[in-house]
Amino acid sequence: MTARAWFLPSVGLLAGLILFVLEASSQVPVSQWGNLLLPPAELGLDKIILVYSLMPRAAVALVAGAALGLSGALLQQLLRNPLADPSTLGISAGAQLTIVAATLYVPELVDGHRTAIALGGAAAAAAIVFALGWRRAFEPVTMVVSGLLVGVTAAALSAAMTLSRGEYLMSLVTWNGGALSQQDWSVFQGLALQVAVIGLLAGLLIRPLLVLALGDTSARSLGVNLGGFRFAIAALATALAGFVAAAVGLVSFVGLAAPAFVRACGARKPTAVVALSPLAGALFLWLCDGIVQFVARTSSENFPTGAVTALFGGPVLLWLLPKVKNMEVPHETRNSVHRRSLAPMIAAFLLLLPLIVALSLFVGPSGHGFKVLTWVETLDLLPLRWPRLLAAAAAGGLLAVTGAILQRMTGNAMASPEVVGVSGGAGLGFAAALTFAPGGGTTAVFASAGVGALLAMMAVLVFASRRHLSPDKMLLAGIAVGSFSSAVLSALLAIGDQRSWQILAWLGGTASTATPATALFLAILCLLVMALALLLGRWLTILPFGPSIAQSLGLSVRLSRVLLLILSGTATGAASLLVGPLSFVGLVAPHIVLRAGLVTVRQHLVGSFLLGAALMAFADFGARNASFPYELPLGLFAALVGAPYLIWLLGRQR
Amino acid sequence: MRIASIDWAMLETLCALGVVPIAATELIQFRSDAVEPALPADVVDLGLRGSPNFELLHLLRPDLILISPFYVRHEAALSRIAPILSLPFYVRGEPPFEKALAAVKTLGERLGRGEKAQAVLEEIATEIAGYRQALAPFADRPTYLVNIGDARHVRVFGFDSMFGDMLARLGLPNAWTDGSRFTFAAPVPIEKLAGNPDARIVVVSDVPVEARSSLKASIIWNTLEPVRKGRVIYLANVNPYGGVTAGLRFARLLTEAIVAGDERG
Repeated sequence: MTARAWFLPSVGLLAGLILFVLEASSQVPVSQWGNLLLPPAELGLDKIILVYSLMPRAAVALVAGAALGLSGALLQQLLRNPLADPSTLGISAGAQLTIVAATLYVPELVDGHRTAIALGGAAAAAAIVFALGWRRAFEPVTMVVSGLLVGVTAAALSAAMTLSRGEYLMSLVTWNGGALSQQDWSVFQGLALQVAVIGLLAGLLIRPLLVLALGDTSARSLGVNLGGFRFAIAALATALAGFVAAAVGLVSFVGLAAPAFVRACGARKPTAVVALSPLAGALFLWLCDGIVQFVARTSSENFPTGAVTALFGGPVLLWLLPKVKNMEVPHETRNSVHRRSLAPMIAAFLLLLPLIVALSLFVGPSGHGFKVLTWVETLDLLPLRWPRLLAAAAAGGLLAVTGAILQRMTGNAMASPEVVGVSGGAGLGFAAALTFAPGGGTTAVFASAGVGALLAMMAVLVFASRRHLSPDKMLLAGIAVGSFSSAVLSALLAIGDQRSWQILAWLGGTASTATPATALFLAILCLLVMALALLLGRWLTILPFGPSIAQSLGLSVRLSRVLLLILSGTATGAASLLVGPLSFVGLVAPHIVLRAGLVTVRQHLVGSFLLGAALMAFADFGARNASFPYELPLGLFAALVGAPYLIWLLGRQR
Repeated sequence: MRIASIDWAMLETLCALGVVPIAATELIQFRSDAVEPALPADVVDLGLRGSPNFELLHLLRPDLILISPFYVRHEAALSRIAPILSLPFYVRGEPPFEKALAAVKTLGERLGRGEKAQAVLEEIATEIAGYRQALAPFADRPTYLVNIGDARHVRVFGFDSMFGDMLARLGLPNAWTDGSRFTFAAPVPIEKLAGNPDARIVVVSDVPVEARSSLKASIIWNTLEPVRKGRVIYLANVNPYGGVTAGLRFARLLTEAIVAGDERG
């Protein structure tokens, strides 16, 4: 290990200690720490707070961080994907969904059974993801895609439920952000026991995990039962994440960051990464929590620690990126996919689109159900309806093409518009407009969201433009920007003033703000992007084979990546400015199209475009009418339309 | 005049002027959270405040739409349907009640009800003066205004919240003085209420069902001096982002509870 490898953890530990002692001694001077072990009745309130709030809080931060670090390391090793962590597998979102649903519909049950409910949600989400991966022996890409689908669906449902209620969900907002504050030692005791048991079990599985890292073919030849071990490791990782979610809420990023830190400090062997990640995670979360408490004491602003881990973690990860060792993903032979002619699929879409357009324009609520509007009624509503229909379809098309481009370019099934950080950047700009110019008007909001999107895209471009930058790192850069943005948004949500509702509404996405001008703008942009993408088709055919092949074919990898990113960034930025960060369509549409057999670049792009547009147009119809007059988030409907289909396709695969 | 209100504070202001709107947003939640003013059943529900139903609003053909700067992103769409009137209520760091009073005046003039507005304002001043007088004997004890989030967190209302502003107008000192750039309602850990052991704690709005038993069992909550000494007051639901009606409802409930000696543990 190098000097830096020792330097970083030592500085972290020291800073954590200093922050804790500062906080603790401001509560009770160090000189009076002697008799803290007395029963609560004999302690003053200051000491009670130290013993029953500050100390368990630090302990919980350490043990929760360790759990998440271990969980992330296990999952990353297992899926051989440096981007895997409890949140990408949908586990955290599953826990969140059950808590939200229970709070809304059976609040009596949440009182006292919070842990069981969160754990149940985590387990259910994990079970769905594992069931989907089962037939393919938990093949990494399938697992990640399934996890994302489940996660996005759960998150969309939670957001829709939160929106359709209102003010009462402050506790959920706090919980979602991962608040570590404690009232006694019970949370720590429970969590510590759970983590200790699972840590022991994980220790037993380290050797098989080593073999798994060699790749499926090698592992099989060594006689390892792949399915069994993958299941066991995934179950341990899920349980860890579930326990943490149950105890303190959603603490994002620790599971993603801890193994990355460990690798950046020079650890290479899988054993070392898995063994050291809990330490890194514990230190990281403790440090973040120390800073949260320090900020809370000096400025009386309280942020949930879970949101802040991403706030600190995002930039730190960006800084560490160049040092992160590439995780070798051994290429498995692809399952053969039938090539089909483009014509029948195009024809199917061409039939689908007019049907959705007709539905959207001529159907309306009659008071107790739906009716076909008269010509006069249709004309009356047309000025309100066509812009949002066009805007929704164009945004869906833009996001889907972007998704197809990114997935082709990076060769990573997880790539989606939010991964370039553009949606995240737009969200940051949106938050900035709400905070600094609350009366600034629509123009200010849109302009600052646009500037945010551009800055975020440039931040990612800076990394992409470096030579030898692997797609993995580019994705990590995008995720860092994205999680930084969502951290800021969650922090604003947690402050709990009325900005929260605007942020929630924007996150859910709605096409109702589209004007004729913006709709036409989006439509034209969408045709331009499509045309450019088709022109650059050759690059997208070559890039997935890797930089060396691309270079040998005379393609400048750097230039092509930068141009493709600019194209993707512009498309996503424009789409998310109008209808929110609906990256779900950008993820799902290209997948559906690919799995449906449209495998050449041209087919993939055109198919994604049409499907994305159709999906989003239909989602807008559903969002408008499902709970009239209460409009639901567009993103939710896109998820509810696309996810079941993709899950079905995944399950059907051999 | 057919008036629709997107903003809840504007809705209250309109009702205070004696005008019933044709439509408003999130009425299910409004009736349970804000309680006052009671709205007739034929007021049309326009859906969520975050994404009001523009089509429905269009079909109702309003003459005026009331919003606040929180609905900036809908301004363009709304103004295509009818003229809009946007008045600010909540600005970070500024006490809101003065703005709520100004809104009564501005809206009253806009609707040609200047005299009614004047009468309403005078009535409000009289009412507050009455409460202030009734509370004078209790004014030496500072008051925490909180809203229970979960068993570990409360929202504390500072001077720039409607409740905090009203508390000052009633002559009661706010026990929460931390920081001047305080948000209107920040979620804070419960132990932060230990800062002023002499205070009383006023819990505004119902404690969420899911937090009730864990709050009772909480060592820190039960160690707080006001809880030990039984100086906690529980008030019914009041809209924290309301206008004059919410402010007065809070003042009335608070005064009644304090004067009646409703403090308990």
